[in-house]
Amino acid sequence: MRLRIQQLLPTYFEQSRTQTSGVWGKELLFEKGELIKIVAPSGSGKSSLMNFLYGMRNDYNGVIRYDEKAIRNFSLEELARYRKDHISIVFQDLRLFPEQTVEQNLEIKRQLNPFHPAGKIKEMATRLGIEDKLNSTCSTCSYGEQQRIAIIRSLLQPFDFLLLDEPFSHLDDNNAEKAMKLMLEETRLRNAAIIFADLERIDFYPYTRLFHL
Amino acid sequence: MSLSFKPIRPLLQTGTNSLSRWFSYIGLGIGVLLLLCSIQMYINIQQMLKGGSIRKDGFDFISITKTVTNETMGQVEKNLFNAADVAELKSKSFLEDVAPLEANQFQVELSAAGILPFRTNLFLETIESNFLDTIPPGFKWEVGQIRIPIIVSSDFLEIFNVFGPSYNLPQVSQETASGIPVLITCHGDGDMEQTFQGQIVAFSDRINSVLVPKNFLDWANLTFKGKRSEQSSRIYIKTKDANNPELLNFLDQKHYKVNKDKTKFGRMKQVFQGIFSGLAVFGLLVVVLALMLFSFYLQLVIARSKDSLRLLLMLGYSPGWLSKNVSQRFIPVYILIVFTALAFTQLMQWAFHHFVMYDRPELSTMVNWIVVLVALLLILLSLATNYRLVKKLLYKLH
Repeated sequence: MRLRIQQLLPTYFEQSRTQTSGVWGKELLFEKGELIKIVAPSGSGKSSLMNFLYGMRNDYNGVIRYDEKAIRNFSLEELARYRKDHISIVFQDLRLFPEQTVEQNLEIKRQLNPFHPAGKIKEMATRLGIEDKLNSTCSTCSYGEQQRIAIIRSLLQPFDFLLLDEPFSHLDDNNAEKAMKLMLEETRLRNAAIIFADLERIDFYPYTRLFHL
Repeated sequence: MSLSFKPIRPLLQTGTNSLSRWFSYIGLGIGVLLLLCSIQMYINIQQMLKGGSIRKDGFDFISITKTVTNETMGQVEKNLFNAADVAELKSKSFLEDVAPLEANQFQVELSAAGILPFRTNLFLETIESNFLDTIPPGFKWEVGQIRIPIIVSSDFLEIFNVFGPSYNLPQVSQETASGIPVLITCHGDGDMEQTFQGQIVAFSDRINSVLVPKNFLDWANLTFKGKRSEQSSRIYIKTKDANNPELLNFLDQKHYKVNKDKTKFGRMKQVFQGIFSGLAVFGLLVVVLALMLFSFYLQLVIARSKDSLRLLLMLGYSPGWLSKNVSQRFIPVYILIVFTALAFTQLMQWAFHHFVMYDRPELSTMVNWIVVLVALLLILLSLATNYRLVKKLLYKLH
């Protein structure tokens, strides 16, 4: 299970970007077990890259292959299976169901392809300090709490790659570190890889490879 | 553990615009009821008027004779159709085919072989086999064969059963009549006579006659009278429409007489079936309109739940699974609507059979199986259209 990106460049970026970027226009291979860090200033296409890898957008040149198959050519059903079984994401804009409770939000993801029993939701929520929010609707949660919900949600399914798009933007260092620890444990449990894109380096993420976007 | 739709259900905003949903349910109910009742009535008519129709394969078959007037009385040749008359009829574009009923030229006598004390003079006729309602397999004769298969008009049996009792003769059913061997004695010139064994192989609703295979009558006419029949008193015509004014004008002009009762009877059946076919088409149209109205409602539900559905797809929910489950939500209500309409159709059929038709045996109190089949097909149709629509809309969301 490998993710290969070849000469990738958003259609709305100029070709000159390939000269300064460590990702755009290059050929890269990400394998299970790796911890990838992508450092990128605002506007360098961080969210675009995550969306491309997750199969949400196709407005790019070049190819992204999962298991040697171009994800651009996935049918909608294949794409659903890809997201259910092989790749998980923490969106920068979180994307929760605002009118559902925290627990319902998490259960909707967990039941899709249960990697953990239902009891694990409470355990993870406790570790990240949001256990008393499980029965509250998401719209009443703070942004930091919502970020932790999105992180837990991404860990309830099996995956080979975990995509993180500025996952700690609204968390203090203490909470961010707790969340990172949980994510690292869950990733090791699956022998998976993390592709972590953020504005700057984070000390508590022991990356194996670093790229500048 | 299988994937559950329960946590997804609250994400669908089905409560919106419930007025259009209820209208579509009511419309669907009315449409289905109309359709099912029309089909049932169509079948009822077909069952009630099964016999007596002059129509076969989309054509009317009617007999014509020449009107015997005071002037033509006693002049046999003027009351018979000759080869020229037949040729003239054949040349008409409003007639598909013409076949004279050829009659016996010799005397024939019929008796019931001692089973019934019954003896009568008889006539035999023959016609081309494609003018028969159905050709029974035993309707064949070969030279030397004593047994002659005959087809008798069902009217004759009815007449026999009417006058039989007053002559101390038993009334007989079609089945019994077919089993009674009858003796047919043909008398030729001089003392020549030969007796054959006749057996009724079928009853015809269309042709008022006693029919025998053509080769028998040809042979018998030659053998007993020395000539074949060249003229006939009756001619059968095959036409697309027995009420064609052109045809009727022509027949009037030539003073040909038509058996009008049968054409009217056939026409009435056609008209009734036409009315109910029309109603069925109208019912189907209402069903289609109701399904369309429901599709607007579904589109609205999906448009309002667009963000949630899009997020579900983003999280990895399969569009096929979602479409199936969203459309499955409406299965119970669809089944309820169609079965309610079916129950009303059953009630209608019972009332029609009991109060209008006084429990006549040729009709059934239960709805016909075709109606039930149509009801099931309608459920499948509505589910399939909903599924396709939801799937299409969800694929668009992606």
